[in-house]
Amino acid sequence: MIKRPVIDWFRLNRTLHRDIGYFCIGLTVVFAVSGLALNHVRDFNPNYEIVRTQLPLTVDLTQSDQQINDELLNAFAIQQSVKATYWESKNTYKLFFEAGHTLTYHHDKYVAVLEAVESRPILPHLNRLHLNEAKASWVVFSDIYAVCLLYLALSALFMVRGKNGALSKKKIGIVLAGVAIPLIYIFL
Amino acid sequence: MKRLFTVVAAILAFSLNAEELTFGDQVTKNEVTLISDILASPAQYLHKDVTVKGTIVGVCEKRGCWVDLASDARFQKLRLKVQDGEMVFPMHAKGRDAIATGKLYAIDLNIEQTQRHLARLAERNGETFDPASVTEGMAIYQVEPTGVTILD
Repeated sequence: MIKRPVIDWFRLNRTLHRDIGYFCIGLTVVFAVSGLALNHVRDFNPNYEIVRTQLPLTVDLTQSDQQINDELLNAFAIQQSVKATYWESKNTYKLFFEAGHTLTYHHDKYVAVLEAVESRPILPHLNRLHLNEAKASWVVFSDIYAVCLLYLALSALFMVRGKNGALSKKKIGIVLAGVAIPLIYIFL
Repeated sequence: MKRLFTVVAAILAFSLNAEELTFGDQVTKNEVTLISDILASPAQYLHKDVTVKGTIVGVCEKRGCWVDLASDARFQKLRLKVQDGEMVFPMHAKGRDAIATGKLYAIDLNIEQTQRHLARLAERNGETFDPASVTEGMAIYQVEPTGVTILD
């Protein structure tokens, strides 16, 4: 009689959990870091550093727009050409340059503010992935990642046997606490 | 400061390319409605698809979830607003022209909100404003775009 090999499901689960866990390290770091950045976007702009330089300035608004432009450019010693201009109100005039720099003149406060926009080096790329701005192929990859996370979560229940197992009396409370927190936010 | 600006500009000039950027669906470029026409009679366009064109004069700094398009009329602009993350408009787009197709919708303000809004506008324009002159709420109009193209 041929003896069938016995599959050790417990061991197989642990091995899969380990290897899928290794696979997920990169994406987990991406989502965790960008998640933190996006959660605190009100306090910290993760995508751009905006350098503002303010000068007290009085410009005669009865001049032509070109003359006003020249005066503002001279005040900040800017040699770039103006890309576009916009009268936001009777007292607020904006000049736009390449790369999104903006010079705003506030006639009511007699100040001009130059905003230089600089992209941060890494976080914007992580945020793009997190917010799924990339191409459709990323949807496929992030779906695979989501399924892997689901597997990691469910397989974790069967990683340890005995009194320290996730379903043991001792540890089930921890599992339930993790389930309860989102439920509280949903129903309260 | 001149040096600072030159350095920043040089870095960005190398790191950025002003190629056309597209978000969402295709825009219907041949059916552009003037922003001034929309704002002059918004009821005519409300909850309908419109295509608008203008220079980008403001971008949401934190989430890139809105851009303001300058109107063809002085002192006017129209905001394109998306749900967070649906489209993320880059800050570098300021000063570039954009075309957008989407639905016009109204944000209704109550009397207090209207007073605050008009007070802000009056302050910006250096005008005096009497809150008591507001007897009813007003609406602010925005477009929820399905497609945006930022031109180079």
